[in-house]
Amino acid sequence: MALEDYRGNMQRCTRCSYCKFVLWDHLKSWRFAKGCPSIGYHNFQSYSAGGRLSVALSLLDGRIDYTDAVIDIVYQCQLCGACDVACKICRYDMEPLETLRELRFRLVEDGQLLPEHMSVIDGLKKENTMVVGKVKEERGQWAEGLKLKDLTQEKAEVAFHAGCRLSYDEDLRKVTRTAVTLLKNAGVDIGIMGKDENCCGGRAYEMGYKGEFNKYAQNNIEAWTNAGVKTVVTSCADGYWAFKRLYPEVGSKFEILHTVEFVYRLVREGKLRFTKTIPKIVTYHDPCHLGRQGEPYVPWKGVEKRILGQMLVHEPKKPRYNGVFGVYDTPRYILHSIPGLDLVEMERIRENSWCCGAGGGVMETYHDLSSWTVNERIEEARVTGAEAIVTACPWCERNFIDAISSNGIEMKVYDIIELVQQAI
Amino acid sequence: MTLSREAYQVLEDIVGPKNITEEPATLDAYAFNFGNELFPPYANRFFIRPAAVLLPGSTEEVQAIVKACNRYRIKYKPFTTGWGYIGGVRMEDEIQLDLRRMDRILEIDEKNMFAVVEPYVMGGVLQAEVMKVGLNCNMPGAGAAVSPLANATSQWGHGPPTVYFGHNSEVLLGIEWVMPNGDILKTGSLGSGVGWFCGEGPGPSLRALIRGAIGAQGNLGVFTKAAVKLSPWPGPTELTVDGSPPAYRLSLPENFRVYTLTFPSWQAFADAARKIYDAEIGYICHRQWHKLGKDLAPAFFLMYNDPTKTLDDMEEMLKDPEVQRFTKEMSMPLPIVLAGQTPNDIGYQENVLDQILAETGGHKVARMSESDMEKFSLIYLIRWGHKNLNFVYAGGYVGSWHQYGTPDFNIRYAQVAEETLSKYQATGLLVKCGGDAMMGPIARMGGGGTFSLEQFTAFDPASKESVEAVVKYINESAVLSREHGFPSGFDEVLALRMKGSKGSQAYLDSLPDTRMYQWQWKIRQMLDPNGIGEASSYWTVKPKE
Repeated sequence: MALEDYRGNMQRCTRCSYCKFVLWDHLKSWRFAKGCPSIGYHNFQSYSAGGRLSVALSLLDGRIDYTDAVIDIVYQCQLCGACDVACKICRYDMEPLETLRELRFRLVEDGQLLPEHMSVIDGLKKENTMVVGKVKEERGQWAEGLKLKDLTQEKAEVAFHAGCRLSYDEDLRKVTRTAVTLLKNAGVDIGIMGKDENCCGGRAYEMGYKGEFNKYAQNNIEAWTNAGVKTVVTSCADGYWAFKRLYPEVGSKFEILHTVEFVYRLVREGKLRFTKTIPKIVTYHDPCHLGRQGEPYVPWKGVEKRILGQMLVHEPKKPRYNGVFGVYDTPRYILHSIPGLDLVEMERIRENSWCCGAGGGVMETYHDLSSWTVNERIEEARVTGAEAIVTACPWCERNFIDAISSNGIEMKVYDIIELVQQAI
Repeated sequence: MTLSREAYQVLEDIVGPKNITEEPATLDAYAFNFGNELFPPYANRFFIRPAAVLLPGSTEEVQAIVKACNRYRIKYKPFTTGWGYIGGVRMEDEIQLDLRRMDRILEIDEKNMFAVVEPYVMGGVLQAEVMKVGLNCNMPGAGAAVSPLANATSQWGHGPPTVYFGHNSEVLLGIEWVMPNGDILKTGSLGSGVGWFCGEGPGPSLRALIRGAIGAQGNLGVFTKAAVKLSPWPGPTELTVDGSPPAYRLSLPENFRVYTLTFPSWQAFADAARKIYDAEIGYICHRQWHKLGKDLAPAFFLMYNDPTKTLDDMEEMLKDPEVQRFTKEMSMPLPIVLAGQTPNDIGYQENVLDQILAETGGHKVARMSESDMEKFSLIYLIRWGHKNLNFVYAGGYVGSWHQYGTPDFNIRYAQVAEETLSKYQATGLLVKCGGDAMMGPIARMGGGGTFSLEQFTAFDPASKESVEAVVKYINESAVLSREHGFPSGFDEVLALRMKGSKGSQAYLDSLPDTRMYQWQWKIRQMLDPNGIGEASSYWTVKPKE
């Protein structure tokens, strides 16, 4: 697809403002009525999904040229997808999130780059990681002493993909160590790529670097194929999304599971039992890439056609991603299964969830927007009375930890796997 | 057009550099709106690019902007969500005031049942807050995503619960108004310093002047705060929905009923509408489903309630004999929500409704009372968060007809409206959803159960031919309306806009009776002597010497 293929989306936006708010049916308060962080922070229409579609159309029509302001408008967005779900409440012919991504691809193709993103991508090219300043040789250190199969040398049914953030973030390494140990102890034939593990490419894709993404996707698919892998498990929501939703476009046929899905299976099958009580009140943050963007990929190639005069439909039927089939119940089932744990919900949850602020290259570039977004979420968590935010994505966790630490807030942050470990 | 550097600096000093822009990309996001494609000179969703956009954050800033505009002779146009062509600037060299930073609910007076709001408080947001204290607001007909303040002060003003709450102009109490010359006027009881509770006094009551029947649509200054009347809400303090998008569901409280009624004829429908109003039953009553067209709406709502289905399934669904039977049964539908303040009250309303159905030959559509559709209908009609389904088929909508009147009057033009739209749908240039794509609330204005029917037209705004067909349809509807002796409706207003600014003024000047427009000219001269406010919707004719 090219940006021009989304011209109809741009022309048919009705500026209804649904993309700015939470889903109307779910709205519970003035305080948490916003759905889009970008316009919530910047206020001008151009920072909403609808506004960006107008900007894209204006670019295509030659009404405007690239300026610093255009670059700012395009990149000051976490691509969290809240707009996409809200838009599709009333529209079947719109794909706002796809259009926003395609707009970034165009900017990158045209050399309209952000210096901060370029640094990240340079690091990716050199060291295979999106975490700036880290080196390839240290990627596998998180697994030291675990005696896991090395998939560059051995074969295994299941590959555990640690991902960039969990490989290098020392505060979060316990997540991967715990997850992979749980799976190993449950008898899963599991291995890792160690220092030869590649970035998933998902975050590069969101920054607009589709070419880099394709390269990493192909490398990973080849490596897993060579290792006889059938299933890929990850604790990273961004990686999960990349493997599940993007990789099939470049030929992947692997089963993709987030750790919470694997743990859920083990709990349901009685292979994992929670025996210890955790007397905590917690709230669960749905990561965008595990939740509304974590729906299963459905292949489609087709064309738009008109029926009944001017009604727009597709031949064959086009899959509709509107957030409904994301991973929501699985983590909640696990949390509800832990004795003593009291899960209290925030107002904006599931497909209606507020972003943590870390996505779309924003965390690496626009610290004010990222910080405002995460603080909004922390406040939402705080008013539930929860003493901890639980989530299932290291990028969310890193943003929560940093914000809580710098603001001196009394709130813990857990990956769900940490609570699982405490409960067994 | 760019503002003089001196003027820009003055405006920037008022709102701060973060809240003003003349960056073309952002200006284009404001130039873009639905409906623009119908109007000359551009016939494109991009209309006139504002000279600048400002985001004022307070009444003081709005006042300072308006005064600066008077000083530098800069035209300005305020809006809230800016949804639709009316919101954007319609004249060259004009600046846009985007009021989205003024989004506070300033007060909810539970005892006296009103809320004081700023312009960017949305209907759905206000409703969620006032429900917490057992009250409800008059949801604008345009849905949860628009502003009750804008709707009450400036733009038409009917909505789904009009049968219970009255017209939105009637819920308007005290107002804080930055007048076109930059002075601040407080109306109603607020003008006497005794609070927001009354729109008519003690103090100046200018409700008729500032809004009349349809509102000045941003052409007469800026309304910065308003009190809106609230009504009792006998439902839960928080709407807890379940289900999957797009069609969420809300469980029915014991004291609520939601039905889709259907009738054998337009006359039976009109009789029932009148009787429902006269019997003072119903919390929400709005002929909503048919905005998607008589031939498609029933199938559409079945499809919409299945998250695995899309419009791509429509052709197949329409072949299903059961869907065809359902479509036939739903040929004259009227959704209604009954809300009882007590068990006796809901029982009484139910009995009265059954009596009305017996007298008019109507009945409750059984499929719409099954759990899924019942719960969906309830959240749809209460929160009004699916209103924009009128764009669902191809992204284009325009309203036509929509004259105020009694139900008996409405059904006279309904039949002309149906024939006219059917003719244009038959060309294939509009969506063939059925010639009856009319919706409207029972009781637009108090005191008689007046009603209206807005004919919805679905088209593809990205298709030049489709847009041209709509323009022809609107103009023909306006001509037919005049030929039949009906008063002005949406089509007349749209046809006027389609003439362009010079053409519409020439047309207005040529009308045999221009007294209303002459009065508006006098009002404008009095309130806006510098002619700074926009004049695209507040039409005037200069009185002859």
